[in-house]
Amino acid sequence: MSELSVDLLASSAQTWAAPREGRADLPDELFATHSGGPIRRLMDLRSRYLVRQRRAEEWFRASRAPDRGLPVASNAEVWRFLRQLVGRRPWMLVAMLVVNAGAAVVGVLLPGLLGRIIDRAAVGDPSLPRELGWLVLLAAGIIVIQVALQFAARAITAIFGNELLARARESIVRSVLRLPLSRVESASSGDLVTRVTRDVSVMGEAAQWALPQMMISGAVVTITLTALVVTSPLLALPNLLALVLFAAVAVWYLRRSLPGYITEGGAYSSLNTPLTESVDAARTVEALGLQRRRTRITDGDAEVCGQAERYTMTLRNLLFTGTDTALKTPLVILLALGVFGVRNDWVTLGQVATAALYSQQLVGPMDLMLHTIDRMQSGMASTARLLGIATVPHDRSAVPEKPVGQHMVGSDLRFAYREGHDVLHGVDLDLRPGERLAIVGPSGSGKSTLGRLLAGINGPRTGAVTVGGVNVMGLPLDDLRTQVALVTQEHHVFVGSIRDNIILAREDTADDAQVWTALEAVEASDWVRALPDGLDTLVGSGNTKLTPAQAQQVALARLVIADPHTLVLDEATSLIDPRTARHLEGSMSALLTGRTVVAIAHRLHTAHDADRIAVVIDGQIAELGSHDELMALGGEYAALWRAWTS
Amino acid sequence: MKTFPPRVFAFGLPATHEGPRPLPLPTTPETPDLRGPAHFLWWLLMQCRGIFWLTTVLAVFWYVPAGLSPWFLGRTLDAGVGAHDVGQTLLWAGLLLVNLTISSLAGTLMHTTGVAQWLNVYFRGILLVNRKAMQLGHNLPRRTPTGEVLSVAMSDSDIFGAVGEVMTRAIASALAVLVVAVVVLQESTRLGLVVLVAAPLMVMLSWPLLRPLSEARMRQRTLSSTLTGMATDIVAGLRILRGIGGERTFGDNYARQSQDVRHASNRAAPWQAGVDALASLMSGGLMVMVTWLGTREVLAGQLTPGQLVSFFGFAVFLVSPIQTIFMFLNRWNQARVSAEKAIGLLGQSPPWTEPTNPVDLPVGGEIVDEKSGFRARPGELTVIVSGRPDDSARLADRLGRYLPEEDETVALAADSDLRGRAARKERARLRELRREQMARDRERASGRWGVTVGGVDLSEVPLEQVRERIVVSDAQAAVFAGSLQSLVDPLGRASREQAEAALVTASAEDVYDAVPGGWAGVIDEKGRGLSGGQRQRLVLARALTLDPEVLVLVEPTSAVDAHTEARIAERLPGHREGRTTVLTTVSPLWLRRADRVVLMTDGQCIATGTHEELFERSDYRRIVARGLEEDMDKEEAADE
Repeated sequence: MSELSVDLLASSAQTWAAPREGRADLPDELFATHSGGPIRRLMDLRSRYLVRQRRAEEWFRASRAPDRGLPVASNAEVWRFLRQLVGRRPWMLVAMLVVNAGAAVVGVLLPGLLGRIIDRAAVGDPSLPRELGWLVLLAAGIIVIQVALQFAARAITAIFGNELLARARESIVRSVLRLPLSRVESASSGDLVTRVTRDVSVMGEAAQWALPQMMISGAVVTITLTALVVTSPLLALPNLLALVLFAAVAVWYLRRSLPGYITEGGAYSSLNTPLTESVDAARTVEALGLQRRRTRITDGDAEVCGQAERYTMTLRNLLFTGTDTALKTPLVILLALGVFGVRNDWVTLGQVATAALYSQQLVGPMDLMLHTIDRMQSGMASTARLLGIATVPHDRSAVPEKPVGQHMVGSDLRFAYREGHDVLHGVDLDLRPGERLAIVGPSGSGKSTLGRLLAGINGPRTGAVTVGGVNVMGLPLDDLRTQVALVTQEHHVFVGSIRDNIILAREDTADDAQVWTALEAVEASDWVRALPDGLDTLVGSGNTKLTPAQAQQVALARLVIADPHTLVLDEATSLIDPRTARHLEGSMSALLTGRTVVAIAHRLHTAHDADRIAVVIDGQIAELGSHDELMALGGEYAALWRAWTS
Repeated sequence: MKTFPPRVFAFGLPATHEGPRPLPLPTTPETPDLRGPAHFLWWLLMQCRGIFWLTTVLAVFWYVPAGLSPWFLGRTLDAGVGAHDVGQTLLWAGLLLVNLTISSLAGTLMHTTGVAQWLNVYFRGILLVNRKAMQLGHNLPRRTPTGEVLSVAMSDSDIFGAVGEVMTRAIASALAVLVVAVVVLQESTRLGLVVLVAAPLMVMLSWPLLRPLSEARMRQRTLSSTLTGMATDIVAGLRILRGIGGERTFGDNYARQSQDVRHASNRAAPWQAGVDALASLMSGGLMVMVTWLGTREVLAGQLTPGQLVSFFGFAVFLVSPIQTIFMFLNRWNQARVSAEKAIGLLGQSPPWTEPTNPVDLPVGGEIVDEKSGFRARPGELTVIVSGRPDDSARLADRLGRYLPEEDETVALAADSDLRGRAARKERARLRELRREQMARDRERASGRWGVTVGGVDLSEVPLEQVRERIVVSDAQAAVFAGSLQSLVDPLGRASREQAEAALVTASAEDVYDAVPGGWAGVIDEKGRGLSGGQRQRLVLARALTLDPEVLVLVEPTSAVDAHTEARIAERLPGHREGRTTVLTTVSPLWLRRADRVVLMTDGQCIATGTHEELFERSDYRRIVARGLEEDMDKEEAADE
């Protein structure tokens, strides 16, 4: 054990935790003690509720301002975005409002008609039997018109919601595709995946379900209340007063529900992640004897979900108690008022019956409205997270100069991922056009970072990388790609045609002939020709499956099309799977011919074949020269080479 | 009362509990009733029967008063308001209030117990799947697509919870319909019969529209999940799209699919609107019918105006319980399909039979694989070199008593496009495949294993002991999310010094340094954010921290650079001193450090010796120094 390593682990003693029972996210105060009298228990319940509330609010705040991952947009930005979306189809919005209001207006006619009939029946109106047939026919007509309007309202509103959603998600994916290169390379993709999947679906539910429902119930509530007032202001009084109570309960609930449900969603995804790991890696669990520990983790995660569920359940219980009171007692008071009204001839029995029916008709839509507001809130929160993607600041500012020649120079390169922790300490490197430079060095020495600076992914803290005299960070991305490309071990095959998978860098200019040339260069034209639809064959997840070797050839053909004069290969040996290495050596050398190549090498024979080798140790180039020169130098590289070959 | 999550003891894995007070945990394991889907669902619901029946009773107290309210309303209008009688009005309105209050109170309590019941069932499903996966271990991913296993845990369990909840309400609904039927028939036989016949008819008439709606929705969901897949695909390949290009192509592909989804949703919209409109049409029609017949009865003096108003209420009320009953039937069928999936998973058993006369694994015995002729001496570092990495990986599996990954996995669910008989046939076929698969595994796992330690065949030793004493860290060994400490010392048994030593031997100090917070630093799911080399070194450090008697490492440094590999190869023999280590690699940096190198071709060990001894053989040289041969002579000449 070297002195250096002991020093690196300096914080070990402070951060190593003694084995402990219990989990930090399940403090004792969350659990009932089941002791004491009923009052005591009720107070305990309340204090648990408050603890859960605090946890939900903390989680919510943290989720709104993630310390890792991408930013979240402000509410103002969300509203602006929504206004823009809705503003594109003003006539549709108007049509929707008109039809919805129409359906609601017709909906209130029937109880009114009924009240009239009751009044006439009660006094034994002699003309009623004669007219009853017409009145019933009128009622049937009202129903038919109402149903037709309702049908139109629902269909239009749904179509409007669909269009809104499609525009929103397309614009978000475009903003994902505009993310700055440095951000894409550094951030883990987990946050972004969650946003484009879960948040888009929550936003979709808001747009397709909550928004239309809110419009529909909103119209029904407004019109029915109006009808109630028109029928009898006196009888409307209980419902109007109850509306205040309802609003108060709704505001109380809506303030708490969003953090509650976001926390619940978070708890479920924290349950899902380790469970997925356990199932996917069932073999590792078995090999290490972790079965009991893994079940215990998931048992505990389920408990955390249970706690989050208990909070929202309490919220809903209080909500139901409040809204039930607000929605159902008005009927009773209305009846009590009714008897005075009838005695004093302010209202008729029929009006009381009509008002009672209206009062009952309000219950459903008001409940629905509350729940849709709830979903709208979640939808807004997700939209804020989605719009946050677009707020990531850009990392490059284009300069007007065009590079002259292909000469790449890096000078005084320093870089830190964390402030105060430079991983490169003033590296100077002059690439000779057409040469092959291998970079070797122990892991953590900064060789990958150097590769990323050379490829223009990140800008250095000091110094600059220039190509043909122009700073690479000043090149527009489209130009940069034709100058230098970073090749990593990833060989992702996109869902799309073979052509789509290859023309990436020159998607606007490349023709099929060029694609075939590229495929031929990497020796892949034979198997592509044999595919049922040739270049149009769909590949990627769920389509025709490519072998690892074919996937790698596609990745190489992309670079042939891109045709940069300089390639930075990072862990490119892992790009070539040992099992397919034989087939791919030809493809790889076809790509490298005639280009400047910087290879961050894991295997020494890659270094051996290079024109020059740079040995990077502790953020500096310790040795630089050809294989023979470095062997003669007798330093780090020579020692390693001897170990390898002897 | 602790109803969710439940404490589950099953498949050999006991229940656990977090919290301040040790609660009584189940002492006997529960055994799911897997005789069939209905048995299984009923078994699940009856695991929390108390809360199930309580919810049902509360649902009765929620529904029945709600069903009786129209009657109270009618009485208030007739005896009170209509008769201008304040006393009677207050009496009947008061009774109505009591009635509504009972319903509200029961409704709130029912919400509490209903959620508790749902979650009890839902979490039980998750915890059972988790335990089954842990019990099956490496056999699970060999047999079943893991995505489906997770969908049983997360989605199908939710369906079980939902069916339980709707079942309690359906039982109460049936009762409420009966009670209301008695009341309406007493009020007016003719009108009562109309209402009682028309309400179920209405619900049934809307049934035919539901099929095209659900088909349109299904299509929309399929397209929509493709769309989500495309978004995930863009994110997964974003480095390439931003690094090399292609944003327009894939942005446009996404937009096209998004428009397809929009059109599919638009096509579903009229059906949904139609179902809703039909429901309004039906209930409106019923209202009109009640008005027509009712008014005539009022005029004939057979019915009071209040009773007429009650009938409107009854007509409106009856729709909801009848819908609930239909919804239950629908959900029950869905849940049966999900239950079949769950049975397909939970019905699997590990292939092992415990030895009848178990023996302890001898300490410090020689390891012999009879099939390939491989031998490893105790306390030594033995390296397996093979031209085909798969051969050495298979040998490593045998040494640790793992079944080979040869079979195709068998799906749990039939293709969702299949309907009715075709789906049933497909499910039966899958059941048969699973049965064969299990039989094959049992066949492989029974009898002599063919690997001995000190002369004792692994099949004579309890499996748990084999796993404890022989640890195989395979090439796909996973990194779990959590603190760095829990990753390196997952069992929580090691001292800090041991963990530090393992980290240093695996040359993973830079990973420790890169993760803020030292040992408490957070490792993301599947080690995301770490490079392949960093992950591999942490896996190695973890294997070393376990410190087993026999450690089998498959390609432990394939993603690590030569400098670091050299460092690890230098440190490992000292770290493992006195313990047996078997390693597969072709890197000369390791081979020089090995006590013994075994050369494998075509799955057979053909030579054993030190690196220097084997280097004489051309077949060996070809494998270890691939691509270097031609330079080798030159190099050697220069060195000497």
